[in-house]
Amino acid sequence: MTDHERQSLSNRTRDDRWHAEFPFEWDADELVSRRQLLRLSVWASGALFASTGVLALLGYSRDRTRGSLRAIVKASDVAVGDVHYFSYPGPDDHAILLRLTQDRFVAYSGTCTHLSCAVYWDAAQRRLLCPCHKGVFHPETGGVLAGPPPRPLPRIELSEANGMLYAVQETPG
Amino acid sequence: MSAPLRNVPGDPQRGMPQNPSPGQTGLVLLGISMGILLMSVQLWLLTLAFNLYLSGNRRGTLIAAIVSGCVFLGGLAMLGVLRRTRRIR
Repeated sequence: MTDHERQSLSNRTRDDRWHAEFPFEWDADELVSRRQLLRLSVWASGALFASTGVLALLGYSRDRTRGSLRAIVKASDVAVGDVHYFSYPGPDDHAILLRLTQDRFVAYSGTCTHLSCAVYWDAAQRRLLCPCHKGVFHPETGGVLAGPPPRPLPRIELSEANGMLYAVQETPG
Repeated sequence: MSAPLRNVPGDPQRGMPQNPSPGQTGLVLLGISMGILLMSVQLWLLTLAFNLYLSGNRRGTLIAAIVSGCVFLGGLAMLGVLRRTRRIR
């Protein structure tokens, strides 16, 4: 073998060099070696890390609050223990306003965090219920009490002025 | 004149199939199993991070990303070690 041929061989990958010197197919060519498996695994691991990192970056770079100041209803129109359904932040986004005590109001998104079914107020058992898969949320915190929902209901911040309740913004639960 | 190329079975320069030396097979398989297990953990971390992201939990998402990155760096380090390790049959 001349020096030129040897240099040409050394510039190729290991598999290429092997096939150049031994140009015959055999069953072992189809095998994946442990090192190749490890290399593929590390690349897959890198892809998983990159995806998780993108989520972390999005978490810090994107503001996940939604909505702007909007009047909901007069506070006097909602009795204690009663509920008022409204749309917020968009016209198609269901939301629930609850009057827990004389002075305490809370509001949540009415979209279940499981599969986006509508959540309603179960007055008999004093709980927020998603009838699709029996998801139950706590009326005071919006946290999951039972069922498959993975996250609490997004919370809607409220303010009150001149007896009128306003939705300020929606934040993740 | 340069030295002739080696042409022995199991030469790492030729890409021929090789086996670990006797007694090391279990160790190699253990390493591969741990790698696959850690990748499963990374997949779980990705779903966890997605859930935390949707919940608005920035800190939790960042921690999940850091742990996932550590696993990836461990894999890279292992690749580096193996690249420097010459296999002899």
